[in-house]
Amino acid sequence: MSDAAIPRAMRQPFGLKLASNLFLIFWLLLAAFPLFWVLAMSFKSPVDAFSSSAAEVIFGPETLAKGDGLSLIDMALGIAFIWLSIKAAVKWLMPMAAGVGTLQRVFSWLVICAGFAVMVIVGLFVVLPWILAPLNALAGPLGTPILGLTTEHYYAVWVENAFWQNFNNSLLVTAGVVTVSLTVGTLAGYGLARSGSNLAFWILIVALVFRALPHSVLVAGYLPFFINSAEWLRPILGENAPTLYGQPLAVIAVLVSINQPFTIWMLRSFFQSIPEELDESARVDGCTHFQAFRWVIMPVMWPGVITTGLFSFLLAYNDFLVTSLLLDASNQTMVPAIAGYFNRETTTTDQVEAVAAAVSITAPLFLLVMVFQRQIVSGLTAGAVKG
Amino acid sequence: MFIKKIALAGAVSLFASGAAVACSYENTVPLKSLTAGFEAWKAVTDAMAACGNFEPELDQEFRTKQPAAFAANPSLYHIGGVSNGTVTPLLNEGTIRPLDDLVAKYGQNLSPNQLIRVDGQIMAIAMMVNTQHMMYRSDIFADLGLEAPATYDDVLAAAEAIKDAGVVDYPLGATMKSGWNLAQDFNNMFLGFGGTFYGDDSMPMVNSEAGINTLEMMQKLAVYMDPEFLVSDSTYVQQQFQQGKIAMANLWASRGGAMNDAAESSVVGKVGSSAAPLAMAGGAPATTLWWDGLVIAANISDEEADAAFRLAMEGLTTDMVQANNDAAIWLVNGYQPSDMAAGAIATATAAPAPAPYPSTSQMGLMHTALGNVLPAFFTGEMSAEDALAAVEDAYKTAAEEAGLL
Amino acid sequence: MKPKVFAMFVGPSVFLMLLFIAAPLISVLVNSFQVTQPIVEVVEVETCTPGFLTQTCVTEVKTVPILDDFGKIQTTTKWVGLQSYANVLELDRVGEAISSGAWGNILQIDFWKALRFTLTFTLITLPFVLGLGLAIAVVVNNATKAVKGPVIFVSLLPFIITPVIGALSIRWLFYGDGIVTVWLEALFMTDISVAANGWAVEFLMMFYRVWHVAPFAFVIFYAGLQTVNQDTLESAIIDGASRWDRLRYVIVPHLMPLIIFITLIHLMDAYRAFEEVVGFSSQSQRITLQWLTYDLLQPDDAGNRAISRASASAMLTMIGIVLILILPLRRTWRDHKGG
Repeated sequence: MSDAAIPRAMRQPFGLKLASNLFLIFWLLLAAFPLFWVLAMSFKSPVDAFSSSAAEVIFGPETLAKGDGLSLIDMALGIAFIWLSIKAAVKWLMPMAAGVGTLQRVFSWLVICAGFAVMVIVGLFVVLPWILAPLNALAGPLGTPILGLTTEHYYAVWVENAFWQNFNNSLLVTAGVVTVSLTVGTLAGYGLARSGSNLAFWILIVALVFRALPHSVLVAGYLPFFINSAEWLRPILGENAPTLYGQPLAVIAVLVSINQPFTIWMLRSFFQSIPEELDESARVDGCTHFQAFRWVIMPVMWPGVITTGLFSFLLAYNDFLVTSLLLDASNQTMVPAIAGYFNRETTTTDQVEAVAAAVSITAPLFLLVMVFQRQIVSGLTAGAVKG
Repeated sequence: MFIKKIALAGAVSLFASGAAVACSYENTVPLKSLTAGFEAWKAVTDAMAACGNFEPELDQEFRTKQPAAFAANPSLYHIGGVSNGTVTPLLNEGTIRPLDDLVAKYGQNLSPNQLIRVDGQIMAIAMMVNTQHMMYRSDIFADLGLEAPATYDDVLAAAEAIKDAGVVDYPLGATMKSGWNLAQDFNNMFLGFGGTFYGDDSMPMVNSEAGINTLEMMQKLAVYMDPEFLVSDSTYVQQQFQQGKIAMANLWASRGGAMNDAAESSVVGKVGSSAAPLAMAGGAPATTLWWDGLVIAANISDEEADAAFRLAMEGLTTDMVQANNDAAIWLVNGYQPSDMAAGAIATATAAPAPAPYPSTSQMGLMHTALGNVLPAFFTGEMSAEDALAAVEDAYKTAAEEAGLL
Repeated sequence: MKPKVFAMFVGPSVFLMLLFIAAPLISVLVNSFQVTQPIVEVVEVETCTPGFLTQTCVTEVKTVPILDDFGKIQTTTKWVGLQSYANVLELDRVGEAISSGAWGNILQIDFWKALRFTLTFTLITLPFVLGLGLAIAVVVNNATKAVKGPVIFVSLLPFIITPVIGALSIRWLFYGDGIVTVWLEALFMTDISVAANGWAVEFLMMFYRVWHVAPFAFVIFYAGLQTVNQDTLESAIIDGASRWDRLRYVIVPHLMPLIIFITLIHLMDAYRAFEEVVGFSSQSQRITLQWLTYDLLQPDDAGNRAISRASASAMLTMIGIVLILILPLRRTWRDHKGG
C-alpha cells in the first residue's frame, strides 16, 4: 500500500510517527542485541569473550595480540564479498526457485539455501584468506590487523569435535518429526474440523490438556522402557526386537506425539477456514472423504501446513529434554551436545566453543526464517489461528 | 563433550589431549563405553579408541543412564566410567562384575593402590584421584607477606589482609552453586569439623555442633566472596582465578592445569597450591577424597568382558599418562606430579588423612537434601538451626520413600 | 462424517498420543499413589579405595538391596494413598506457619515456593507479552513497506532461537561482570550483584520470557491485522473515531480470538517454565513447578530418585493447569455448542 492510497484521516501526525519509529528501533535493538553479543563473543579468545569491558569484547585486544585479527582491507573485502554474494543470491538463485507446486518450491529453496551456505563458507574461509594474505603484507598500515577476530572456536567445534555429526543427527530428527507430524496431523486436523461430534470436541480438549503437561514427567517414564525394550519386545518380535534407546526413529515418534496436540489444533483451525462446500461438492460428485481430501483439500492447504510445519521444526530442532535423555552420544543432536560443554568439568575455552556452537545452530534457523518469513505470515493470515 | 570418533591425526588441541597414543594390538570385538566427559576421560577413551572397534560415549547424562543401561540384558555398554559416588548404584544392583581373574591376566601394569576392593573382590580399577585443595595467588601472598593458610582461621585472616590491601575484587572464591556444589562444600567442612552424617540406624545427624560450626564458618567465609556465590560452580571460580578477580579458593585439583593455560589465564605461574586447610586443630583437612575409574558390565559374555578389560588396560598406559600429564592426578605408572598437584598430594597424604567421599544410598539422599535446603540459609531466610532441621526433615522424607528408614 | 471415516482420519494421531502421552501419564498417576522400595539388608562391607600412594580400607555398615535369583533387585510396592501428596505439600509445616503467624515461612517449602513463583511468573508476563506483541504488530504494520521484511525478520529472532541459548545470552549480559551490569554500575555508581538478589533474578527471568514470547504474539497479531475489515475502519473514521478509539473498538475486538489463543498458549507454556531456571541457575532463589518435578526425578550419586514424590508433584502441576485453563476453555465449549 503506497502512501497515496492511504486515506487522509489514516495518515499519521509527525509526533506519532516519530514515537512509533523510535519504539520500533528500541524493540529491534532489544531483540537483536543479546544475539549480536553472542555472535561477537564467539569470534574472540576466551579472555576477551568473557571480559567485563564492552570494548574488549568487540575489539578483542587479547585476540589481536595473539595474531588473529582483521585489517581494514580484510573488512572491506569481506563486506564486499558478503554484499556481492547476497546480490548474487537474489539475482541468480532466486529465479531458480520458481517451481511449479508449493512443495517443489520448498525443495528448490532448501537446495538453494544449502548452495548459498556452501558458497559463503568456501568464499569467506578459503578463497578470501588466500587472496588477502599477500595483499595485507603489501598494504602497510591498511593491512595491519585492528579488530581481533578468530575462527579457531568454529574450527574446534566443527572439525575437531565433529559437530557435523550432531548437525546430521539434528537434520535427521527434525526432518523426520516435521514429515511424520504433518502427515499424521493433517489427517487428524481435517477429520476434527469436519466432524461436529462431541467426541471430536473432547479429543481436542484432552489434547489441549496434554499440551500443558510438563515434559520432564513424560520423558523420565520413557527411559527404562526404551532401554529394556529389546527384552520386553522379544516375546512379540523375536530376536530382531530393537533396543529403542539411542534410536533416532524412536525419538522422532516421541517428539511427534508430544507435538501432536499443537499440530492438530492449528491444522483444525486452518481447515475450518476452508469452506466446507468445497469438499462437499466433491463428495456430491461421488468422491469418498479421502478422495475429496486428496484432490480438493490438499491443493489449497499448503500455507497452513507450512506454518504448522515451521512450528514442528522449531520444537524438534530446539528440543533438549527428550533428545538428551533418549539418544546415545553417536546419535546426539546439536542442542544436548552443546549442553555438554557447560557440564561440571569445563574450561573457559570449552565455554567459548559452546558459544560458537550455539551460533552455529542458530544460523540454519536464520536462513529458515529468512526464506519462510512471508509464508509464516500468509499462513497465519489464511487462518491457521482462529482461536 | 563430543566424541572424537576418529583420532584426528595432527589436530592441534589447546589442551593436553595431544598426539594419539598407539595401541599394542588390534581389537576385534565391538565394544562401547559410557563415561563422564571431562579431560581425563577424553584422554583415556582416545587411547582406547586407537585399538579399533571401540565406541566411547562421553555423556553428561551418564548418571541417569548408567544404572539403567548396565541393568539391561545384554548390557548396552561394556565399559563404564565411575567415581566413588556413581559406582554405588552399579554395586547395589550387581550390574558390574568382579575383576580378579582379569586383573591377574592383563593387569601387570596396575599398582595395588588402583584396585578398588569391595569385600575383598576387585570391582573397579581407579585411574585418578581428585580432591578439593587450597589454590592461592602466590604473588599476592608474597607481596603481603602471607603464608599459605593451614587452617580456616588462617584463611579468614589472609582474606582480611587481602581485602584491606584491595588488590583483587574478592579475596575468596568457592564452588557454592546451590545444589550439588554447595552440598559438597558443606560436606568438606562438616567432615573437617569431625561431623557424622547419619547414624547406624540411618537417622540423620547433621543438626549437631559440627553442623552449626560448619554453617557459621561458611557464613564467615562468604563475607569475602563475590555476592553471587550461589551461582558459582567450579568453572566460574576457575574463571575468576584466571581473570585475577579472586586470590584464593578451595578448588578441585583437576582444575589446576587451567590456571597455567596461557590461552585463558592472565595469572600464569602466579597460582600456588597447598593442602586443604583444617577446620579444627588436630582434624583432617576439610575435604574429601574422590577417585574415578573403570568398571566392566556383568550382563555381557565372558569373551566380551575379556576383550573389554584388555582394551581398558590399553587406556591406562604410561604413554597415555605422559601425553596427558596435567589432565588429572593420575594413579597410573609414569605420572609426574606438577606444582599444581602438590596441594592435592599434600592433602591426600596428610595425617590424619581426609576421608574418602562416603558412597552410600543414605549419603546420596543427604547430599540432595543439603543442596536443596542450604541455599535458604545463605540467602538469610533461615537460621542455621532451622536450616539443619529442615535438612533432616527433607532427608527423612526421602529416606522413608526410599525404604531406608 | 461417519464414525468409521472419522476414526481413520484421527486414528494415527490419537494412537500416538495415547501411547506416548496418555500411557506415561497413567503410570505417573499410579505412581503418585504408591511407593516402590527395594528390600534392603544391613551388611558389613569392607571397601578399599585409593589414596595417592596407598589405599585406605574401611569397614562400614551399609544398607544394600537384596537381589533375586535373576540378579534383579527385589522390590515391594505398596499403596500409600495420599502420602506422597502430603510429602510434597507439607501441610503440617503450612499449618505451623499459619498458626504461628509467620506466613512467610510457607514460602520456605519447595512446593509452595515453586507455586508462588510459577503463578506470579505466568500472570505477570501475560499482559506484557500481549501488550508488547500488539504494540510491535501495530507499529510494524504502520512501517514503510521497504523495511517491513527485515523488521519482521529481526523481530522473530528471539522467538526462534533455542530457549536455553536465548536465556544464556541474556544471562551473560547481567551475571557476574556482564557488560549491562557494568554499565548499570557506572550509571548508579554502586556495586550490583544481580544473581545474589532474588527479585533481580525473578525480574530477569520474566524479562527473558517476554523477550522470547512477544515475537510469537507479534507475528500472530500482525497476521490478524492483515485481515481487519477496511470498510469498518473507514466507516469508523467517518464517524469521527479517534486513532485510540479505532484501536479499541475495531481492531482489538477483531483480534479477540487471537488474544485468547495467545493467552491459552502462554498460560500453558509459562506455567511449565523450566529453561529459565536452568539458564539463569536460579535454584537458590526461584524455582518453578516443572523444575521441582525434574529435580525430584534426577538421580543422585547413589542412584536414588524420588519417583513417588515427583509423580505427586507432576499431578499437582497438572491440576493447576486444568484450573487455569477452565476459564478460557469455557468459551471454546460455548463455540462448540453454538457452532
